Amino acid sequence: MQRKTRRNIFLLFIAIIAIAFIIGYRVWNEPHKNIKNASGTKTTATALYSDLTKDSATMKSKWVNKIVIVSGEVKQVLKNQTGQQIILLKTNLEGGSVNCTMEENINNITPGNKIIIKGICSGYISGDPDLDLPGDVFLTRCYRSI
Amino acid sequence: MKKITLVLALFTLMTMAANAQVYYTKNGRVTFFSKTVLENIDAENNQVISVLNTETGALQFSLLNNAFHFPKAKMEDDFNEDCMESDKYPRSTFKGKIMNLNEVSFNKDGSYPVNVNGDLTIHGVTKNISTTGTITIKNGNVSATSSFKVLVRDYKIQIPSIVSNKIGESIEVKVACNYQKK
Repeated sequence: MQRKTRRNIFLLFIAIIAIAFIIGYRVWNEPHKNIKNASGTKTTATALYSDLTKDSATMKSKWVNKIVIVSGEVKQVLKNQTGQQIILLKTNLEGGSVNCTMEENINNITPGNKIIIKGICSGYISGDPDLDLPGDVFLTRCYRSI
Repeated sequence: MKKITLVLALFTLMTMAANAQVYYTKNGRVTFFSKTVLENIDAENNQVISVLNTETGALQFSLLNNAFHFPKAKMEDDFNEDCMESDKYPRSTFKGKIMNLNEVSFNKDGSYPVNVNGDLTIHGVTKNISTTGTITIKNGNVSATSSFKVLVRDYKIQIPSIVSNKIGESIEVKVACNYQKK
């Protein structure tokens, strides 16, 4: 009887370790959030840029690390060093853009096109005021939104 | 004749000063890598703002910590929440200078080794660092690369004990920027 109890305790112990290992493994390997099908807060490139350049804590908590759906006019289409498409959306400030790194490239997109882009907002980086270079608001892992 | 030469020389100098070249990128690349027993950790950030003044040699970089992308979501969460405390310290920056600017010909194609010195701010801690890099001029296009090591304890980065065996003490940081003229 005592031996059986000891065996049961041992088995329980093994089971707990196995469960902990499985949970740990699954948490560690959890995939990234699916942005493509996620919902987000709608705004315009001009409004988002104006909100985040105010350097207000309220605006930061409203937008930073959130999924945003931004509509705007394409200013420039570039490529980064890994070949990802970069779409710059116009704001009310010349030289300041909403800088979107695309997860899926969009074909046939040219400056002047109106577009809606969904992505995660990383925030605003100021440029260099002394050199008259405005900063950008950055979106990562972006998709075209309909 | 001498006067004309002098005027011409002055004019050339003035033109050079007026053309104080500022190059910038808003999509520069910073990656880091740490080799560990369990798993290698590497992350990339392709949204780095960098400004290079070819007249003064002033060089700056600025990035948002939360724009680092990791292969695993959990790594990204741990990095932002526990290591970098990205809510509290959203940016990492470098402000410095190219020390051997006279050895770089920005109007001549080539690959120029540079020594850079400046202040690196990570996790709210600023340290003066010196490193080397390369400036490449190709068909008038300016690009820069550098690679250096950062010790996490220098920047008071606390690594939670549960993942401490996954992150090395020393992180190798690589920078690569393709600039455009302002």
